[in-house]
Amino acid sequence: MKRSVVTATPSRREFLYHSSMGLGSIALSALLHQDSARAGVLAPRRGHHQTKAKNCIFLLMEGGPSHIDTFDPKAKLADLHMTEFVKERNKFEASMNTGKRYFVRSPFEFRRAGNLGIEINAKLGNFADCVDDVCFYRGLQAESVNHPTALYHINTGNRFGGDPAVGSWVTYGLGTENENLPGFVVLPDHAYPQGGAANWSSGFLPAHYQGTPLRSQGAPVLDMRPPAYVTDFQQRKTLEFLGQLNRAHAQRHPRHDDLSARIESYELAFRMQAEMPAAIDIDSEPEATKELYGVGAADPEVDSIGRRCLLARRLVERGVRFVQVIVSGWDSHDYIEKAHGSRLDAIDRPIAGLLKDLKRTGLLEETLVVWAGEFGRSPDNGVRGGGTAWGRDHNAPAMAFWMAGGNAPRGEIVGATDETGRTAVEVVHPIKNMHTTLLHLLGLDDAKLTYFAQGRDKQLSQTGGELIKELVA
Amino acid sequence: MHPTRRVGSLARALGLLAFAPLLVVSAAPADELYRTTIQPTLKQQCLGCHGEGNTFAQLDLSTRDGALRGGQRGPAFVAGDPASSLLMAVIDHEGELAMPPGGAEKQLPKSVRSAFREWIEQGVPYVEARSAVRWDFDEADLWAFRPVREHPVPSGGFDPGLVRTPVDAFILSALAERGIEPAPRAARETLVRRVTFDLTGLPPTPVEVEAFVSDDSESAYKELVERLLDSPRYGERWGRHWLDVTRYADTAGYSNDFERPNAWRYRDYVIRSFNADKPFDRFVLEQIAGDELFPHDPEAIIATGFLRSGPWEHTGMAVAAVSRQLFLDDVTHHVGQSFLGLTLGCARCHDHKFDPIPTKDYYKMQAVFAKTAFARRPLPFVPAESTEGFAEGREPFDGRLEVLERRMHDLHEAARDRLAEEKGADVAAKAASSILQRYMDKEQAELLKLLRKRVTMHKLSVLRFQPLAMTVSNGLEPEWDTVAARSSYMKPAEYAEAKTHVLVGGDIQAPDEEVMPGALQAVERYSGLPAPTIPDALSGRRSALAKWIADPRNPLTARVLVNRVWQYHFGRGLAANPNNFGKMGEKPTHPELLDWLAKFFVDQGWSVKAVHRVILYSEAYRRSSDYPDRDALDAADPENKYLARFVPRRLEAEELRDAMLAVSGELSDSVGGPGTYPQINADVARQPRHAMGTLRPLYESEPTRRRRNRRSIYSFQQRSLIDPMIEVFNGPNPDLTCERREASTVPTQAFALLNAEQSRDLALVMAQSLADRPVDKRAGDAFRRAFGRAPTPEERDWTVRFLEEMTAHYRDHPAESREPADDVVHDITSELTGERFEFVQPAYTGPYEHNPHPSDATPETRALADLALALFNANEFVYVY
Repeated sequence: MKRSVVTATPSRREFLYHSSMGLGSIALSALLHQDSARAGVLAPRRGHHQTKAKNCIFLLMEGGPSHIDTFDPKAKLADLHMTEFVKERNKFEASMNTGKRYFVRSPFEFRRAGNLGIEINAKLGNFADCVDDVCFYRGLQAESVNHPTALYHINTGNRFGGDPAVGSWVTYGLGTENENLPGFVVLPDHAYPQGGAANWSSGFLPAHYQGTPLRSQGAPVLDMRPPAYVTDFQQRKTLEFLGQLNRAHAQRHPRHDDLSARIESYELAFRMQAEMPAAIDIDSEPEATKELYGVGAADPEVDSIGRRCLLARRLVERGVRFVQVIVSGWDSHDYIEKAHGSRLDAIDRPIAGLLKDLKRTGLLEETLVVWAGEFGRSPDNGVRGGGTAWGRDHNAPAMAFWMAGGNAPRGEIVGATDETGRTAVEVVHPIKNMHTTLLHLLGLDDAKLTYFAQGRDKQLSQTGGELIKELVA
Repeated sequence: MHPTRRVGSLARALGLLAFAPLLVVSAAPADELYRTTIQPTLKQQCLGCHGEGNTFAQLDLSTRDGALRGGQRGPAFVAGDPASSLLMAVIDHEGELAMPPGGAEKQLPKSVRSAFREWIEQGVPYVEARSAVRWDFDEADLWAFRPVREHPVPSGGFDPGLVRTPVDAFILSALAERGIEPAPRAARETLVRRVTFDLTGLPPTPVEVEAFVSDDSESAYKELVERLLDSPRYGERWGRHWLDVTRYADTAGYSNDFERPNAWRYRDYVIRSFNADKPFDRFVLEQIAGDELFPHDPEAIIATGFLRSGPWEHTGMAVAAVSRQLFLDDVTHHVGQSFLGLTLGCARCHDHKFDPIPTKDYYKMQAVFAKTAFARRPLPFVPAESTEGFAEGREPFDGRLEVLERRMHDLHEAARDRLAEEKGADVAAKAASSILQRYMDKEQAELLKLLRKRVTMHKLSVLRFQPLAMTVSNGLEPEWDTVAARSSYMKPAEYAEAKTHVLVGGDIQAPDEEVMPGALQAVERYSGLPAPTIPDALSGRRSALAKWIADPRNPLTARVLVNRVWQYHFGRGLAANPNNFGKMGEKPTHPELLDWLAKFFVDQGWSVKAVHRVILYSEAYRRSSDYPDRDALDAADPENKYLARFVPRRLEAEELRDAMLAVSGELSDSVGGPGTYPQINADVARQPRHAMGTLRPLYESEPTRRRRNRRSIYSFQQRSLIDPMIEVFNGPNPDLTCERREASTVPTQAFALLNAEQSRDLALVMAQSLADRPVDKRAGDAFRRAFGRAPTPEERDWTVRFLEEMTAHYRDHPAESREPADDVVHDITSELTGERFEFVQPAYTGPYEHNPHPSDATPETRALADLALALFNANEFVYVY
């Protein structure tokens, strides 16, 4: 392991990379080998039906944001506040959710926004401007209250990991518009989420559809840059020499397609190396745009999320099919006012900035933006250590979810939860139906988007999902 | 892995991309509704009074007829017409009668009610979970269930001079039928590289190549094969294949991804078993029921680690019954895939759609494991086990616990002082940690959480040096440390009482009929092997199943294994889906050969090495990968299914890393023992990663080169952190069984081989030893080590010129020296405050044996390192012909 360690702390230097990344396109001629047959696995293709959205930005709020404290206020909880009750131990309930409990009112103020006066947390002052472009969906239900399984579920459709991520399915279905960049990019928070890279794995789909995490420090793609001591001359000469060896070898073994594919992969790698710096060079954006996203804000959290949101727009603009932005820290079992409050402060400008910027540039028409956690939070909290701490536990039957752009409805609330927010009661659907709908909005039919693996044609919804018609404008 | 396969899967992918699904598999929505919603609701809410024993108001909802006939108030449903259906009004609380009883509070959720409405619209279909099983399968899809038949070895129609083993006769006969001529034999230098990688996962040394190439007698080949089969490296290679199937890892996965500190003993057991050519039937018995059948054989106890190889976690946030079911489903499905080549998991929710496996059979198999508890039990090391690395392995752990505990102690004492100020010294002196935590600020509380997790992880890690086995027991054994003892998971009585029910839709909340332990009816029905008698007792269930699987008459077991062996030799199984011998798996290309091999295997005492020999000695295995008239061959057999030529393959991820280690001279000969930490990408090593609620420690590679540079099979396999070098070259996902490695070519592989420090460091190691050789020998040595052959004159010229140019360049471009180590600051968003919580991961300051660095190397050596790096990246290095 390299011991010349720097730091993993977020800083203003995120996504500021040297524009000289070792090797330009000049050296590629050394590698080029006639016109090798490009397999085209990532070539752009039409979906199953006409639709507006062709890209997706999935804003994943890791930890389970509370619907009750964000977009689904519950007045009833003010009456029930601190009312204690005992929830019997039940063999189908996690031990976390049983025992002595008490209701907790939301500590937050709500405000009305948009034409319909939709109630949202008052901390989201910038986001309030975007409400008329957003469809809030209150009928979604998760199936697990356990972080890693619920994360796998919302990211891959399978609670137990190992299946392809939504982004992999979408890239498999639609290909990507820019072959020099990965088709599915993940912008993780500083710390990788629970369950790690399985959250963006291509599972049983070919490795081309794997999510590529763009790292905020070091090389954005692993080993995209050689170590510092490697000179351009060295890299170019080595590639030239390698090209000589490979060509001679290919002449001895004609008719072996893998060889040309492998030679071509070096070419693609260095096209990616050449294109990536420009794609991620956030500083080339006008000041006003950076300001819109909160890039450069005094709060490093706003800056960090702002950078990722801005980068998401830049990537989509350059033809990346699916971008997932992960914002962690929503697991507020205790002191939700402070814990959720600082998260809301951190996301308000970046997320509003993203929506406004997409709209301003016309990209919102062709970009579906999704905002979701892996589950919601309970209207009550457990008595832990004999004390009360006004937080919330995990809650699967109701959660927070919204989307915007493409053919998603605008400025609407779809579905409803009960009076305390414990469970969805109208337009109730499981995650698999949300996945089916998400694919539909991107022009893909879950029942047709299949891949033969493990003995059958597999699909994102696992065994077939239903379209949530209310979520299609 | 090779072109035909790639084309095959690509064709399939493209076929699907054209959106012409091969077949529609989704259930009719009404059936789905019934299984997922209607049936469980009826069962939980209605049948207690109206169906099972009781028929209050003369209403029986347990059958469709009963429901349509109705009770005192008339029919419950009108098929196709929810508005006229009495039951709809009753559950909607729209009439005088409201059900279930208990008023508005007990009313069924709206989603359930609309499910009923939809189900009635679709005609009230009752789908029987235990419906009459259909046995009308196409004969062609039942081949694997039919008895293994004895086929005569073909003769005639082909050149008998090309027959070395019966395998050739089968292959040549199939080729002759299609009018295809086989390719000539491969060159000797190609063959020695092919068979050496195949059997050991390592390249031959130049001396080994020379010895084989210079002796063209037939016996030279046999001696080569026998030497490789006897090499301890053989078990490391073939053990890895089995670990792909079993999903081996040293950690448990999911949120905490806690260490399984004694899992390595199972890994080494697998390697030893292959090296010793343990009869495969015994290998089956040990892994499924070693503890029951051979309770005094430590190997057999270790072997049962197989049953626990899947990812599994239980925390306070998970439902215990779900966690238990997760294990039961995993082990049932996994035993089916590994040994029987069947995707049993498909029968979890419904009768298997393609294969003769009713849901009931799935749960009967599951009942075999109903009493199986996890156990970590004392088990002295056997002499064959490696403990040589213990002393060195322990070193990094020394003193760590004390540091963690001191920091925890300091946090508590600071809180105690605060408490004392408020409540007095007496109260403070007696206060427990839970009280003291309330006197910590949020930062301190967060730090305490992190330290606690580290203590837990540390204590688990050091258990790897203890004589403990990761195994199972029937019910909880109180004296053994069990998972249950450490959590609220399962109590002893629960194992004793555990019953198995068919679960409707696979849902634990919808238990149906109770089942007794059993095996698959289809095997008895189609092969004649009698169903096993499995006792409905605490002990003996697994033994009975294991014996049934290992029975020579079981049509699946031997076929599945010889097919796997064939696949690893030729890149493609005789049946191309080794984990799926059912309808959806590809049919065997040479069914008679598969049967012949299966019978031969059993007749040879289930000897895997005997199967290797009959394959490796064949001409079929020794063919060239180049073919004189490729156009004709591609027209006749585009995927080369009939093996007229040998198909080149890309090295697997571990082979590639091991080969770079081997040719550079850096490969450690250390064998077995707890997993060690190789050098991995530095950014990944430093990446902050979550463990439930807090941060994981840094990844730290081993301080000595000898321990860093062991064969990849001995790397610590952490499910949540896969070595990127392994991952990018299609290393298997440790959560899924891998029947066959993919070999896709993606651009990031170029970054890993050309830019990564690991590749460059090894290139420099190789350069150092090349630099010790006379100048005119260097190019030849480098090629011989990397490619197993001398360079052509042209290649020699290129190399000399390249070395000269690079040497001149480096004279003017000295490398900057290595940057010193520094602390790493990790942070996460605190759950308590939503703010950043920072934790300094101190830089490792102990002794560390660095890899060589260009700043210490002469210009000549640096140039040689560039040569070595180019060779590592060359197609000839990465492919085996």
